[in-house]
Amino acid sequence: MPEYKGMVQPTRASVAEMRKIYIEPVPDELKPEKAIEFLDQIRKKFRSFVLAMESCTKCGQCAENCHTYLGTRDPNNIPANRAELIRKIYKRYFTPEGRWFGKLVGAEDITLDVIEQWYSYFYQCSQCRRCAHVCPFGIDTCEVTFIGRQILHWLGITPKLHATTGAAMEKAGNHTALPKPGIVDTLKFMAEEVMDEFGVEVEFPVDKPGSDILYIPSSADFLLNPYTLMGAGMFFTYIGANWTIPSAVTEAGNFGFLFDQFWTQRGNVMRLLNAAQELGVKKIVWGECGHGWRAAKMYIPTLADRPVRWPLTHIHDEIANLICNNELKLDPSKNSKPVTLHDPCNYVRACGLNDNMRVIMNACVTDFREMSPHGADNFCCGGGSAILFDDPEMYRRRILFSKKKAEQVRATGVGRDGDGILCAPCSICKAQLYPMVEEHELGVEVKGLIDLVGKALVWK
Amino acid sequence: MKLLIGQILPYITVTLFTLGILYRLGRWAGARIVHNITLSPWLQTSGQVALRVGSEAFLFRNLFRFDKALWAGALLMHFALLNILVGHIVGFSFLGKQFALIPGLGITPELSKKMSDLLGSVFGIVLFVALLYLLYRRFAKDTVKFVTKPSDNLWLIYLLVLVGMGDIMRLVPDFHIEYVLVRDYIAALILFQPVVHMELLNSVFFLAHLLLVQILLIVFPFSKLMHFFGMFAERYIVNRVYHDTAPGLPNIEVATARKAGLGVPAGDAAGEGGVSCAGV
Repeated sequence: MPEYKGMVQPTRASVAEMRKIYIEPVPDELKPEKAIEFLDQIRKKFRSFVLAMESCTKCGQCAENCHTYLGTRDPNNIPANRAELIRKIYKRYFTPEGRWFGKLVGAEDITLDVIEQWYSYFYQCSQCRRCAHVCPFGIDTCEVTFIGRQILHWLGITPKLHATTGAAMEKAGNHTALPKPGIVDTLKFMAEEVMDEFGVEVEFPVDKPGSDILYIPSSADFLLNPYTLMGAGMFFTYIGANWTIPSAVTEAGNFGFLFDQFWTQRGNVMRLLNAAQELGVKKIVWGECGHGWRAAKMYIPTLADRPVRWPLTHIHDEIANLICNNELKLDPSKNSKPVTLHDPCNYVRACGLNDNMRVIMNACVTDFREMSPHGADNFCCGGGSAILFDDPEMYRRRILFSKKKAEQVRATGVGRDGDGILCAPCSICKAQLYPMVEEHELGVEVKGLIDLVGKALVWK
Repeated sequence: MKLLIGQILPYITVTLFTLGILYRLGRWAGARIVHNITLSPWLQTSGQVALRVGSEAFLFRNLFRFDKALWAGALLMHFALLNILVGHIVGFSFLGKQFALIPGLGITPELSKKMSDLLGSVFGIVLFVALLYLLYRRFAKDTVKFVTKPSDNLWLIYLLVLVGMGDIMRLVPDFHIEYVLVRDYIAALILFQPVVHMELLNSVFFLAHLLLVQILLIVFPFSKLMHFFGMFAERYIVNRVYHDTAPGLPNIEVATARKAGLGVPAGDAAGEGGVSCAGV
């Protein structure tokens, strides 16, 4: 049962699964002492973490601005308190005030219970950065939970979902463990679908040597969000691009970013750079994936082990650019249902995609209604950082985490007649919202943004 | 006791305060900014960065945007505090006659002294009330109560006592202290020429006020009060200039592709036209 002393916890990876991602779990009796050792190593490296530990004045402003607290009303889900779970240990072992004054300043000895607390609450955080966005100092809880998850991973505590996804990525080059023949077949099938539904002839080249553009789709687009990949195929065909999908990296996501930034995330970056080198491409274009785009755009420059020769952009950047240059003929009336846009957190607070998504939206649909709040102020869908756990306890939490989002969608009125569209251009948002729009009975269909572009393109 | 608090401790305080701050800042500087975690929407120029950090530091922009009551309380508290700190330095240095020194206003030294007294009284009261509100908030508002540690409340109470003592000296005529006494005392300290039996140090309120300030300064580098520096250090990480990689795909000619009818099974020529950039 994924629960520990009343705290919900996601199902853990087994010892065998941890070994597959090169981690030997630390025995329970050694965990506290090892945790301090790891924390000491890491605090000396990351200033963003040190300042999150040392600057908070506990003003409490983050509480009402965090969807996990709004949904669960669990005090440990207040960002300041979530960080406090590790801050109390940091203070106790690494600051004079914590050593001398202990409980008075909130310092505490480390125990196995504290580590279990980390596991519960750091994996309830969506790492959406809304707390950083609203904090008067800009303290980023993301930096705390990244490091908390990293330490847990080194101790051998990682959710099964994250660990197996990491292993699949290493083996198959995508999170769904889809091998190359499966990818080629799926893409052929997709080309047929495009022909049947849109009357358009599209080819999805895989590993085509001498391509100009390397397109990195989310692997979920092969199975769960086919219209996103179909839309991308139609877009590239429409503009006459010489593009390809690399079979080595059929994954826009990078789960390493979410549980192991040292080995898994870095490994995925090298894998991408190798693929780009082999295929001799000129530019890398990223598909719809929130955390993956942040991991790529903002982290490749500091994780790469060689100079990065390829400019890296998001497909939304490119589509918006062509729209602004009047090069795409789009017919918004093809998307006439009411649409609202869920801003993926990583896009609007970490990657600056805010305006471009709206350029595309306004060109592709007739009835676009903004949520309140939207843009950088937007709330997370509740699935951020892949906390898409299916075990019953965690699933119930996911419903609570998405409560704020459901209220926002409802307030736009797009689902009033049951035919609205909730555009959520990120694979994790989609995976979270597919079931959540049903749980909250929102009367909307979840779609990507490229889905709408593909449908709106005018071919002759 | 008077000798210890008034003549010896100040030197220890200043030393510990300085070293403590250097130690704490050094601890921060020892760790590096590893990845780019700038918050978007991007700031495009250093001017925009200065404006953002400045409006956060001096106007509490985020508090204003997301919690007006906290904004009012925090801004009043910090603004009054800033004025009182500056007031202590200027008022004692110029014996309250500082406003008379501003040319062109025609303020007499007597009026200046009155203004100085008035400003000191007003900010003293505002600071006390604002601190009371912040303390009230820590007990009255659930979300804040949940994140509060004993030291958070203790600091507010400590400051209330410290400010209260100052206000008593400021407002109760019996305990009032002449500027000149304080100036001479500070000057003696700075010049390392301590006078053993200073009249000033006979005031219990002054002595207590002075002691509390010194304890505060000694503990300052190891406390949450360091958020004064922490705020700038944190903003230096999350508010930076960032420029997106330029869009534009290699070897793309959309018009040619459309003329060739790419994707259209029948191979018809495509029509002209396009959708304008709708803007946001």
